[in-house]
Amino acid sequence: MSSDLKKLYSDIIKRHQEAPFHFEKKTDMQNTIKAYNPICGDRFEVYVDFDRKTINQLHFHGFGCAISKASTSVLVKALEGRTLAEAIGLCENFLGFINKDLKSNEVLLQEDFKAFSGVHDFPERSDCATLAWQEMKKFLESRK
Amino acid sequence: MTFPVHAIKSNFPIFTHRPELVYLDNAATSQKPLSVIQTITDFYTKENANVHRGLYELSSRATKRYEEVRKKVISLIGASNQNTVAFTKGTTESINIVAYSFLKKKLKAGDKVVISAMEHHANLIPWQQVCKESGALLEIIPVNEVGELRLELLDSLLDKRVKLLAITHISNVLGTINPIEEIVFKAHKLKIPVLIDGAQSVGHYPIDVKKLDIDFLAFSAHKMFGPLGTGVLYCKEALAPHVDPHTYGGGSIKNVEFEETEFLDYPHKLEAGTPNIPGVLGLGAAVDYIQQLDIHEAIHHTKNLTISFKDKLKSLGGITLVGQAQNFGSIVSFQVKNIHPHDVSGFLAHANIAVRAGHHCAQPLLESMGVPATVRISFSIYNTMDDVDKTIDAILGVKKFWS
Repeated sequence: MSSDLKKLYSDIIKRHQEAPFHFEKKTDMQNTIKAYNPICGDRFEVYVDFDRKTINQLHFHGFGCAISKASTSVLVKALEGRTLAEAIGLCENFLGFINKDLKSNEVLLQEDFKAFSGVHDFPERSDCATLAWQEMKKFLESRK
Repeated sequence: MTFPVHAIKSNFPIFTHRPELVYLDNAATSQKPLSVIQTITDFYTKENANVHRGLYELSSRATKRYEEVRKKVISLIGASNQNTVAFTKGTTESINIVAYSFLKKKLKAGDKVVISAMEHHANLIPWQQVCKESGALLEIIPVNEVGELRLELLDSLLDKRVKLLAITHISNVLGTINPIEEIVFKAHKLKIPVLIDGAQSVGHYPIDVKKLDIDFLAFSAHKMFGPLGTGVLYCKEALAPHVDPHTYGGGSIKNVEFEETEFLDYPHKLEAGTPNIPGVLGLGAAVDYIQQLDIHEAIHHTKNLTISFKDKLKSLGGITLVGQAQNFGSIVSFQVKNIHPHDVSGFLAHANIAVRAGHHCAQPLLESMGVPATVRISFSIYNTMDDVDKTIDAILGVKKFWS
């Protein structure tokens, strides 16, 4: 097994894919974000319990590759309990990191975020890593 | 005699440039032999001119060669009249032409169009949309658990309200080869015209539109060693007057006045605007290439690879084959237990093995089978037993990594 594949499927990613955080259908939530990729067939739904300006709880469910599942799990874990502004900031941070357009002086990345650095060697997988994050950012920005 | 696979592989320059490539995504698009590439390059280099336009030598030569490709195509599909062959952008456009420029004007509320559950989106969405616009119903022939059409239900689906039946010859997901002769026979008893989606079959399997009495046959050049962006709509002579122009413009007309236009006959009425001349010439070269092969030996070769791959795959354990029809082509869809198809295909890509993962433009089919996505492997004439073994080794590696 080559080292870049090992880096792509890092232990953190494997852990999130095997035991995803808050992986549960919550269809009674007031907001459901659809993170679908029609090209590959990945389909995740993120259920948002959103109270004025704070994200109280997040859950998700669906089907996708290890990268997209782990990145959605990381999203749910990272954004829960955050204010709107904080959550948008984290989305920008993660997306910037994956797309390699982070400015050097930006916030230190969480360990869970850094686990996706292997995607840099597999640009065709960046859509997998960013699927839920892009949809979440769009949703949060519509609530500003 | 053994199939000359190495000689054949050497006809495809991509394998000289990328000797490490194991190309198993042939159902998406095939590789191109040098003769096809050279034909296109030669046209632009030595013969570029428009067709049906100029009186000068280059233009009349281009016209002649362009028209000659119709003759090559009819010899491939068993038609006898070259004017049954219209050039299109591909299978998708060919099917859309039949939906919108043949069927739509006939469809009334309460009429029906019958397709099957294993259709590619290209042979589903045009009918779905044209039905919606007309208030007609789209009826689906279901698929059983091994991925075969439930033809015992066909009689109950066909009646006088059915205005067209559209069905794929070979499923691009399951590899199932459908008994189109029987389907056409049943439809014709009720005078229902039949469209066959030949995207996965034409050029790889014998098909005879006359013998099978097919009304419409749609296919693409790029899946049969020809160039991208070129395809064919074959239409039986008797129905040709009922196909209207699909796009309007020059090249498709007999006479134009400010108030009225008189169109040419099929196929020219469908070919408005400057056509994809090098694409059509490339299609001609692809037909030439196919016709110098022994098609039965070629089928035997790809079938051997398919059977060997399936056997070796099953012996790995934790594999679910999606589609196990009795009569199958060179397409294998499967799942590896607990590993998403994209993660499998990502690992294979890393070993220079090109396969497809996802729903393969047949989302409703996979949903009806309770499968969100599969890994799909599709063999062609230049694939070798070594390709099979490398792929099996790589899948074993994926399984080990995730265990």
